[in-house]
Amino acid sequence: MNEKIVFIKDTSIGVDLTKDFYASFLNLLREQSLEDKVQIIRVADIGIYDRGLVVKFCDLDIIYANVQEKDLKNIVTKTIKDGKIINELLFKDQPKQLRIVLRNCGEIDPEDIDEYIANDGYQALHKAVNESQPTDVIEELKKSGLRGRGGAGFPTWLKWKLTRETQDTQKFVICNADEGDPGAYMDRGVLEGDPHSVVEGLAIAGYAIGASKGYFYVRAEYPLAVERVEKAIKQAYDRGFLGKNILGSNFNFDVEIRLGAGAFVCGEETALIASIEGRRGTPRPRPPYPSVKGLWNKPTSINNVETLANIAVIILKGGAWYASIGTEKSKGTKVFALTGKVKNSGLVEVPMGITLREIVFDIGGGMLSTKGIKAVQTGGPSGGVIPKEFLDTPVDYENLQKLGSIMGSGGMIVMDEDDCMVDIAKFYLGFCVDESCGKCVPCRIGGYQMLSVLDKITQGQAKIEDLDKLKRIAQAMQKASLCALGQTAANPVISTLRYFLEEYQDHIVNKKCRSHKCKHLLNYNVIQDKCKRCRVCVINCPVNAISGDKEKGYLVDSKTCIRCGKCYEVCKFNAIAKE
Amino acid sequence: MTKLLKKDLDKIKTAHQDNGENWIKVGMSTCGIAAGADKVYEAFVEEVKKRKLDIKIKKCGCQGMCYSEPSVEVRVKGLPDVIYGKIDKEGVMKILDKHVCGNALVKDAIYELRTKR
Repeated sequence: MNEKIVFIKDTSIGVDLTKDFYASFLNLLREQSLEDKVQIIRVADIGIYDRGLVVKFCDLDIIYANVQEKDLKNIVTKTIKDGKIINELLFKDQPKQLRIVLRNCGEIDPEDIDEYIANDGYQALHKAVNESQPTDVIEELKKSGLRGRGGAGFPTWLKWKLTRETQDTQKFVICNADEGDPGAYMDRGVLEGDPHSVVEGLAIAGYAIGASKGYFYVRAEYPLAVERVEKAIKQAYDRGFLGKNILGSNFNFDVEIRLGAGAFVCGEETALIASIEGRRGTPRPRPPYPSVKGLWNKPTSINNVETLANIAVIILKGGAWYASIGTEKSKGTKVFALTGKVKNSGLVEVPMGITLREIVFDIGGGMLSTKGIKAVQTGGPSGGVIPKEFLDTPVDYENLQKLGSIMGSGGMIVMDEDDCMVDIAKFYLGFCVDESCGKCVPCRIGGYQMLSVLDKITQGQAKIEDLDKLKRIAQAMQKASLCALGQTAANPVISTLRYFLEEYQDHIVNKKCRSHKCKHLLNYNVIQDKCKRCRVCVINCPVNAISGDKEKGYLVDSKTCIRCGKCYEVCKFNAIAKE
Repeated sequence: MTKLLKKDLDKIKTAHQDNGENWIKVGMSTCGIAAGADKVYEAFVEEVKKRKLDIKIKKCGCQGMCYSEPSVEVRVKGLPDVIYGKIDKEGVMKILDKHVCGNALVKDAIYELRTKR
């Protein structure tokens, strides 16, 4: 049985006529008595969006897009029967994603070291320890242009070089897997899907800087990641990729796991070091940087999970190859955790320089609801929002910074018209206030004061002068905080003020929240024309704020109402107004 | 276990080159497990044993398509590789009945086509 396989999917926004097209297609095949020779398969997702009906032919490996009902006949008689390509319908598909860090994620069994080895695993470690000098490894990284993927984007080769050049008897390397940005889980994906790539990266880092000991600092909230890293380390010891005389060389390297209890500040390198040393996780002033005085005052290089997962590929394929991907100053790829109001949320890995629009609409499949896109948040609580006007900006470290956000570790949250920007700023600032370690005054008190101003704004009790106060405190925090947590905590507020000042003014002057998010500025009312007097809202109101009778109709008492929104949810006739 | 050298790496690589013609991979990272991938995995193992099918059930990490978890990649000789998404116990049966035993793909459940390999 040699069947041809044809995949179809209607990718139009809002309507899905795949089943109708399927029926017409099947009829046409029957007319040509081809129904036994062709399998038409309706798919749930064809990887192309907003291009009408998309048809993919498995045997020819071509795709037709924007196919109309009238084209189907031609497709059956020409393409299916005779194998002729209809050029007008042809869709040239360029894959948007490029997987380097996630090369093995979802491909191999993360708990089986042999599968990793079968995919070139530990070949880079062999090349490093047996065929190159540590300085060669650093030189290769310099060529690659790889920058730290934890957020700040410091050149990895320089960090390694500085640590290497500091003279000491003992040095350390640390893998920072203390991922904590709300909505971001790139590192978890890598550790759970391909832990050996990170172990190998860490061992190569150890060789390059001359460290004989490495630590994994993983948060305890990632139990599965911890379990898989533990297994990976054990397997690597058994096979001789860790321990003494690695792969027959003179290089010795030991690795240990340290669990973090989940404090966000412990992702900051000096606080992380304190935590590994068994002290309270609080940062200290830099310099001296960890490359000079790090763990137990020894030179230490701390690298993010994603940075380390890149290393083996760079060593094997060469720095020049890596540098050919990306933009002038940002090389390679970046993994993003695409979440929020987007259809296909998940992990995506894209070459630097791709636009936000491509990420959200071509990979993410567009918006989840019919509401339009408002902004994209990047960089978590240290980042900012990028409004829809800038969706065509190529993504790299410099461009995002220019827009008042940062690359960050890779959280990317898509927001639509239902998201209130003041509320978003309040959420992120609230996160940082909760997570502030309290050691330095600007972060501890500044954050709290800013949050109370934002509280006032969302409750409609602020004055317009309060906006200046926000800016003043933000500036003080940026300049005087001890670590990046405090220095960047105000970023979401600053960036929303920059792009969505009108929304702030609306809250303060008109006491209105246009996204209906800030409940203190909301009022629920019964729309008398639409109300069918069914009393469902009355029964469901938890505070008995709705009164009246069937004759006169019902009213919401705004003094008693707690703005829970229950009446709005339960009304079947859309007779409750939220304004 | 003995410590490996470069030649051993190459040996393992060659031995694993042929990944088998028939297998099913279940995405078993936190995102998948949260959506029920462990139950899907168990159902596959149990059912394949019961029907005595010649197909390997494997685990893998997150394929990045967290919106369609639990997701399952299927390779059966003669059919293109596909990833099915939002699979439950019923989906497991459909995949085994149709894709594995029936030489036909399951409709409305495919989330990614892996034609280019």
